Amino acid sequence: MSSHREAPAISRDPVADSTDLYAFVSPDDPGTVTIISNYIPLEAPFGGPNFFEFGPDVRYRINIDNNGDGDADIIYEFAFETTVANADSFLYNSGPILSLDSANWNRKQFYSVTRISRGRRQVLAEGLACPPCNIGPLSTPDYDMLASQAIHGLPGGRTVFAGQRAEGFYVDLGSIFDLGNLRPFENLHATFGLPSLAAAPGVNGTDNFSVHSIALKVPKSDLTGNGSNPASASSPDSVVGVWASASRQAAIVREPWSEYVHEAGEWTQVSRLGNPLFNEVLVGMGFKDLWNSLPPSADKRFAAGVQHPELAALLPVLYPGVFPNLAKLTAARADLVAILLTGIPSGLIPGFQNLTGNTLADMLRLNMAIPPASNPSIFGLLGNDLAGFPNGRRVQDDVVAIELRAIAGATYPLVNSSYTPDAAAAAVTDGLTPASVSRGFLSTFPYLGIPQGGYQTAPLGTV
Amino acid sequence: MSESTRRGFVKRSAAAAAGMTVVGALAAEQADAKAAAKSGPVVAYIREPRTGEITVMAGERQVKLEDRKLAARLARAAR
Repeated sequence: MSSHREAPAISRDPVADSTDLYAFVSPDDPGTVTIISNYIPLEAPFGGPNFFEFGPDVRYRINIDNNGDGDADIIYEFAFETTVANADSFLYNSGPILSLDSANWNRKQFYSVTRISRGRRQVLAEGLACPPCNIGPLSTPDYDMLASQAIHGLPGGRTVFAGQRAEGFYVDLGSIFDLGNLRPFENLHATFGLPSLAAAPGVNGTDNFSVHSIALKVPKSDLTGNGSNPASASSPDSVVGVWASASRQAAIVREPWSEYVHEAGEWTQVSRLGNPLFNEVLVGMGFKDLWNSLPPSADKRFAAGVQHPELAALLPVLYPGVFPNLAKLTAARADLVAILLTGIPSGLIPGFQNLTGNTLADMLRLNMAIPPASNPSIFGLLGNDLAGFPNGRRVQDDVVAIELRAIAGATYPLVNSSYTPDAAAAAVTDGLTPASVSRGFLSTFPYLGIPQGGYQTAPLGTV
Repeated sequence: MSESTRRGFVKRSAAAAAGMTVVGALAAEQADAKAAAKSGPVVAYIREPRTGEITVMAGERQVKLEDRKLAARLARAAR
């Protein structure tokens, strides 16, 4: 998945598992940038009685690099606390929750937002309320209203939301993890001697699941190094690198015969996310946990996995005869290094750059001077839409298809014009679109859809 | 001052000084105990006792100290 359960250690710690990161110029408020950092993969909407919540023992951060060194220059830090109104009750709620201060709601969450810049900590707000999870028509009869109450204004023209949202990352998990058997092309799969299947439409494996989102909208000038408002797409000052992280304290001690848990020590990073699928697809199994513990500035050691991605070698094997040119492409993939580790320099795509420099660092790079597209393409830059992935990432961008196509060689001509991509490189997909997300998306902040209610959700079926 | 008297003075002075040291040590210990009580639980982590490096964690603070004897003592106690 994008970064859901992408590494062995973090797959056992879902509360701290960053699943997706989005960063884009807000289409309805183009003087601002919206950054959404998701956690807790594959929340089943009916997953009570202890419904999903942020970890009060986790420190969540959105990190901004505005000088290209792969280290954070600006940090937005989110710390959560949980309150229980009636410890003697087993209930999440004892009646309908009609407002965020409802006495019927037993277990609430609140959070603080702190901005850290040049070592200076500025608490932007404390005691901000999260919405409850969407439970059902009796418990949360007007969920849209509850969610809208949880959108909070912050000083400096900033806006924040933290709480449950519909999963917007659409991906055919079942087919991809079954040896890359992409349903629209499964008739072409090698199948390892097993019977071949007929091509079929994709199935959105995350549909109707939920996540927990931290969504932050800030003026563009909040992110630049000099506080200016980016105006020129060619200026290095217009580009920022973004990544999410989650940390836990170094030590945890459980006392026997007690509910007491003590945590101590420095905050230690356990999860990181910049570009979707980076740790999942380009870092070897034995190094994924290490990768999660490091800052982007340490990514040089993972460059080989980008220059020679395992998946690029697998595609011609899994789909015999479909990727003949890719099979012969043995050179280091400078195109992928540019897209994922340095940013794309000027001169490769007319009117576009999001280069942050020579430091190899996995960051979601956003050129903030590129205005929102009037007619967006879900294929972003590959669809000639300069406002989409890998220029930041919007909630509807088809990052699975974009990255599959890039790895399949579609972007290699950017650095070697003599290379001709295979026809399949421009077509490969898991067969999904934003329409595959039943809950849809919002046109305004926080952009990800209203989460599915637990009562309204049927268990998974069979394809 | 006679020799015996001088010796007695030296002894008394030494005893007084020792007493002051004990009182000082006690006061320091009490101050340490008060400060430690304020810090809440303390966690010590010794990854490799042979090196003597001890990581001490309290609250969000974390310091490293090197004390081979203490590290060895703690390692023995845990056996």
